[in-house]
Amino acid sequence: MSRLRSLPRSHLIAALALLVLALYPLVQPHDTYYQTVLFATFMLGVQAVSWNIISGYAGYVSLGHSAFLGIGSYTVAILALHSGINPLLLAPLGGLVAVVLATLVGLVVLRTRGHAFVIITIALLLSAQIVATNWRSLTKGSDGITLELPPWSRDIQNIPFYLAMLGLLALTVIFSALIRRTKFGTGLIAIREDEGKAAAIGVNTTRYKVTAYAASSFLIGVAGGVYAYFLTFLNPVGSFSILGSVTIVLSAMAGGRGTLYGPVVGAFIVGIGSEAATVYGGSSSRVLIFGLALMIVVLFLPDGLLPTVQEAWRRYRPVDTEYTDQAGALEAGTLQVRDRALASAVVADEVEDGAEKRAGRPLLDVRSAAKAFGGLIAVDGADLVVRQGTITALIGPNGSGKTTLFNLITGAMRADAGEVWLDGTRIDRMKPWARGHLGLARTFQTTRLFRSMTVLENLVAPLPDAKWSSMLKASVAGHEADRARELLAFVGMERFAGQPAGALSYGQQKLVELAQVLMLEPRLVLLDEPAGGVNPSLVGRMVEIVRDLNRQGVTFLVVEHNIPMVLELCDPVVVFSRGKAIAEGPPQTIREDPVVLDAYLGDEWRPPALTGESAQPDRPQEVS
Amino acid sequence: MTELLQAVILGLLIGGVYALMASGLTLVFGVMNIINVAQGAFLIFVAMVTWWLWKHTGIDPILASVITTPMMFGLGWVLYRTVIVRIRGSSPSMSVLLTFGLALTIEGVLNLTAGNKFKSATPSYFEESFRVGSIALPKAQVYGFVAAILVLGALYVVLTRTWTGRAIRASAQNPSGAALVGVGATSTAALAFALGASTSGVGGSILSVLYPFFPASHYDWISRLLGIIVLGGMGSLPGALVGALVLGLAETLTATYGSLRWATLVFYVVILAVLLFRPQGLFGTRLREDAVA
Repeated sequence: MSRLRSLPRSHLIAALALLVLALYPLVQPHDTYYQTVLFATFMLGVQAVSWNIISGYAGYVSLGHSAFLGIGSYTVAILALHSGINPLLLAPLGGLVAVVLATLVGLVVLRTRGHAFVIITIALLLSAQIVATNWRSLTKGSDGITLELPPWSRDIQNIPFYLAMLGLLALTVIFSALIRRTKFGTGLIAIREDEGKAAAIGVNTTRYKVTAYAASSFLIGVAGGVYAYFLTFLNPVGSFSILGSVTIVLSAMAGGRGTLYGPVVGAFIVGIGSEAATVYGGSSSRVLIFGLALMIVVLFLPDGLLPTVQEAWRRYRPVDTEYTDQAGALEAGTLQVRDRALASAVVADEVEDGAEKRAGRPLLDVRSAAKAFGGLIAVDGADLVVRQGTITALIGPNGSGKTTLFNLITGAMRADAGEVWLDGTRIDRMKPWARGHLGLARTFQTTRLFRSMTVLENLVAPLPDAKWSSMLKASVAGHEADRARELLAFVGMERFAGQPAGALSYGQQKLVELAQVLMLEPRLVLLDEPAGGVNPSLVGRMVEIVRDLNRQGVTFLVVEHNIPMVLELCDPVVVFSRGKAIAEGPPQTIREDPVVLDAYLGDEWRPPALTGESAQPDRPQEVS
Repeated sequence: MTELLQAVILGLLIGGVYALMASGLTLVFGVMNIINVAQGAFLIFVAMVTWWLWKHTGIDPILASVITTPMMFGLGWVLYRTVIVRIRGSSPSMSVLLTFGLALTIEGVLNLTAGNKFKSATPSYFEESFRVGSIALPKAQVYGFVAAILVLGALYVVLTRTWTGRAIRASAQNPSGAALVGVGATSTAALAFALGASTSGVGGSILSVLYPFFPASHYDWISRLLGIIVLGGMGSLPGALVGALVLGLAETLTATYGSLRWATLVFYVVILAVLLFRPQGLFGTRLREDAVA
């Protein structure tokens, strides 16, 4: 009983509603009309909850999702016709065919970011209708397929269908809830918030999106099979109707896109409302009503009903929030770095002593990398070696190509020429997440946390390897969450685990972002201006953290304009100018190097004593 | 051979009309990152208005675009100012949903006012053809093509040679920069949206002659137009032209050598094939995305 009480109240309400709805036809077995309306509503719920997986969690809107209902219907109807097996038993095969189709389409359109997807989803629905109409030998064209009537007695009418669809709806909600609880689910939200960043923390965005699309099609396909048997007749126009997709989108939007129960609530409103509109307004006005309703929801209730009500409730009954302060962030924590980095630590130990460090083997090796944006040459045949166990600094004037070099190393951009090697593996053709799985991590110049997710969710989003089993691990509970809390404690941010990341101060976000990439168990971390916009006490903390991690074997490449910090923390220092490295050495040498002073300050500022010594005979093209 | 030549020429004629219809869509996307799913509904709305004008006044349907173009420009401007402007700054998926709602609303209104029946404007030259040697070119198709190319040319001139056009393009590339030099983002966006809508003025008038239509036809049209701009590279005007010609050709060739029933499907197959090998479309470019963050 106490376990029951510990469940969130929403689950209890849902279970109660399920019970009432399941008992209803047993109490009132002859209310065929209401049973049919509810059956259609449950089916809409199955579709809206499924749609929410790809379009709510991952943010990729599908406008043709009812296609999977039709595909499920046709698959089951055709199979039943040829085999004589009861369609209800064949229904899962309808789901399977839907999954295969969604996977194939997804593999083509979901490899890239952006808008091709929404367009293809409409095309998918219309194409399916064309195929169903024209492939007469299989589908009987526009004549449609008629199935045998169910074998059970007319007395129980549609009760089996009613219960089957209600069961499917419950299953769909559980399925969606399970997905949301895994790292896969957290990754989908991350993709919605910032797809480029998600890729940088090891999230295989293509696989996530295609899997989400396939997952969102399965139970709709199964429902299609049940629906076909319920109707006992199907034709192309009815099975692949746009209006079906409209009601799916409208339900999920009205109830609350991206929430678990929102689409269910929406389905009940839209399903019952649409029936009422047909009864009182006639079916010809339905399109107009749906259209207006969708516009009104988007304009005035963009978050949907459920989140809006919850927000109002929270405002009505405020809960004490713990205000954030710097104390937490300044507390020291300790951390044991896990296996991958420890393996490299052994090597680091061998080369412990100061100057000897540079004798470590090259971990990162950039060979004559080049990148141009139109006529602007950002990186111009740059070479860079980061040795195992070092904290290497990369400094240079603004516009000298440091961040672009980072992007080439991590795969956010593809180099025009050159090679990038990480510990003996050539990585410049790899996807960003694959590089992350090899132990390469980065933070961003302007922090890119997933702002609407909590700090803890931000930490569990990264995926350290390419295994499916890691993707399906629980995210905000269990081992992953423990590890995340450990890392948050290490950077002194444990108290903020439950806060939305967007509510943190900039410096705190920098610390959280560092903790986030540590979830990847990186061997090499690229820090893009870790001290930029951070107050001095937090800078001090940042320096300690980096040192601590470095002692445990993590190698760093740091871009930074805070020169005192660089000189204190880093060795060696590489100076970048006009898209390539112009000097490298220990900090003391670099600070007196005339070439460096020239690059930073220009000819006129060169100290008189040095004039002439540092003149560069062939100056490269101006780049910034 | 004659058959092939005939099919190719017909494909190009159709492609020209498609290009005009898609130009508004790609323009609006390029300038404000909005996929206007209602563009198909605009076309059907204009086709309906054209049909009504032709029926009641006898005006030539293609010539009626002189009336429908400014009408759509005004409608686009008002729609932007009252509806679209409200979702500026929210995620692109919201604009898809909003314009989808708009498309349904237009369809719903047409359902109630014009009825759910196929219509088609049939002026006197409707079934006549120009004959060049052994090749027959339907007059309506040729007139439609000429009108489409004229309007596309005019659009190109407006965008490249006038202050308004430069303002629209500047605002597409860098809204805050454009604002600094006196180009107001909202009024420019309204202009661009209105301009995009106005292309459906001519497009819809041509459509009313060339294709039978009814309120729900807008789904076919929008998916065709979206296919064209995905193929050409979203936001690219030359891309829309090339994409339209390619798909116009693919469609006519399938109709000639395969079957008319499958012609529409070929459209989608071509798009999927292109996306498989060149995800950014034919003319699409990938720009640096990190610096904006």
